[in-house]
Amino acid sequence: MPDLVWFIVRRLFAALIVMLALSLAVYLVFYAIPADPAHLACGKPCTPDRLEQARHFMQLDQSTLQQYLNFLKGIVAGRTFGDGAAAVHCNAPCFGYSFPLARPVTTLIMDRLPITASIALGAAVLWLLLGVSLGVIAALNRGRILDRLAVGVALLGVSTPSFLLGLLAILVFGFWLNMVPVNGYVPLTESPVDWAWHLITPWIVLAILQAASYIRLTRSQMLEELNLDYITTARAKGAGELRVVVTHGLRGVLVPVITLFGLDLGGLLGGAILTEKVFSMQGLGDLLISAVGQLDVAVVVGVTLFSAFLIILANLVVDVVHGVLDPRVSHG
Amino acid sequence: MAEPVLEVHDLHVTFSTEGGLVPAVDGIDFAVAPGETLAIVGESGSGKSVSSAAVMGLLPSNADVTGEVLLDGRELIGLPNDELRKIRGNDIAMVFQDALSALNPYYSVGWQVAEAYRLHHDVSKKKAHQRAIEMLDKVGIPDAARRADGYPHEFSGGMRQRVVIAMALVNDPRVLIADEPTTALDVTVQAQIMQLLEDVQAEFGTAMVLISHDLGVVAEVADDVLVMYAGRAAERGTVRDLFYRAAHPYSLGLLGAMPRVDVPPKLRLTTIPGSPPTPGSITTGCAFQPRCAYTDRVGERCITERPELTPRPGEGDHEAACHLGRRPSDV
Repeated sequence: MPDLVWFIVRRLFAALIVMLALSLAVYLVFYAIPADPAHLACGKPCTPDRLEQARHFMQLDQSTLQQYLNFLKGIVAGRTFGDGAAAVHCNAPCFGYSFPLARPVTTLIMDRLPITASIALGAAVLWLLLGVSLGVIAALNRGRILDRLAVGVALLGVSTPSFLLGLLAILVFGFWLNMVPVNGYVPLTESPVDWAWHLITPWIVLAILQAASYIRLTRSQMLEELNLDYITTARAKGAGELRVVVTHGLRGVLVPVITLFGLDLGGLLGGAILTEKVFSMQGLGDLLISAVGQLDVAVVVGVTLFSAFLIILANLVVDVVHGVLDPRVSHG
Repeated sequence: MAEPVLEVHDLHVTFSTEGGLVPAVDGIDFAVAPGETLAIVGESGSGKSVSSAAVMGLLPSNADVTGEVLLDGRELIGLPNDELRKIRGNDIAMVFQDALSALNPYYSVGWQVAEAYRLHHDVSKKKAHQRAIEMLDKVGIPDAARRADGYPHEFSGGMRQRVVIAMALVNDPRVLIADEPTTALDVTVQAQIMQLLEDVQAEFGTAMVLISHDLGVVAEVADDVLVMYAGRAAERGTVRDLFYRAAHPYSLGLLGAMPRVDVPPKLRLTTIPGSPPTPGSITTGCAFQPRCAYTDRVGERCITERPELTPRPGEGDHEAACHLGRRPSDV
């Protein structure tokens, strides 16, 4: 096991470096765009004097490098805009401050995260179960009707846009059949049942769309796996078919599946933009879209970096899970 | 020969493929008694591995198997999968050619040996693990208790093959099928592994079916030999019959292609011209006829009439499927 610990430490260090490089890139890209956040803040009529004041207050009058360093410092130690009674405080970890919304970006993200996380995690569990089990069933029935059916469902899933399936689901199950709520979000802490009930439609919609690639990946991987010599060994040992498939076959299938899963989930946690829009849920995706509309650069940078952070985190988790699943990785 | 534990009679294996029916094994018979070793010899594609897979019931679903496979007189062909499962790994076990791919890379070797035991014994995991360590120790893995937690990629080729052998022998099987057990190993390790197989066979009285194309190994360990060519038996007899009284031109060809220390080094190794026929391509006459150096001595019969295994007069159970009545070397 010390092998594994050392492996995790190495990966954490690499992740930190990637994050740093990424933050610089994101910061530069978004601050290079011609929109001037100070312009929005200074109101109308905007005299050059007041504009200069706003720039100074938002610390936009400093050099780009200095601004970036301020941003980094804010993450570690927090930062303060202006001074005296008008000072605005942004506690560490400060990922910027949204002047239009008058709130720290970190707070905005943390407010919206539970909604996005609820959608993403619930859907992820569903699509992983659905995708892997259908993929295995397809592989075991290769060329037969069940296989064709699963592959067909997968094809349909990949090619359907999420807003179309989402709207259809709302129309059929929300309005016509009146089975599920049409929109809205209830926090888990308020009522777990209502929480799940409001989320069930977006979960299923997302799961159907995402499961497609998992069905295909699991199927092809399982077919390959079943041809391997150690599967024959397992049969020769006297293992039953279920044991052969689940204990000996699935392990190798899960390695690439988990990789895809980690990246998909990491991406989705950064905001399921279309799904959130369709189901009117104020998650991270919704936050990002409105920030873009209002040229609220601090929020755009914050959410983008947060999404990137999630992807890197997901990669890290995937690497560790790989190390656990495949001894050749962590011992190598 | 003692009462055989495994008997195979008139075994046929036909694969149905998109290109039609392919007869991979076309009627072979063999038997092996406890403590004895039968070697099945032949080139790649001669049907030797398919025969062993057929005995284990491990062929894919597009294979049609007919004939008799008797384990202690009990017919195995046509047994429901559930019954066969109880026999696999328990009464008949298998050692594979490439131990690296035969072992599951995701599980420790101790777990894999213990699994083989647990599949046939209702014991706790802990007991099974102890049994696995005991077995790993028996096949000569040093520090077995610690090494049992290692994964296949952490072992050398020879050690991995020892693990596979431990896995095969953990249930004390009556029959061990070793499919080219030393082909993937260094020469020095080959000798160790063969010695190990002989030792455990002597200790447990296991009947062994050794599939090999290495005549050196065969001469060393086999009691009886079955030479296969194109899915059929070319020659069958004791190991002495084959090495001193080979009667089939194909067997002679194999012997001539074997390097030996007891002949002058200047003598070149001979080769058999041509290559083995694809299964099912020769339907009449002798399958070896196109490559045979002795066809002239027999004439048309080689092309029109399929030779059957016939006893060699005065040589006990020695049989050959050749129209050439006399020993080719005497002609």
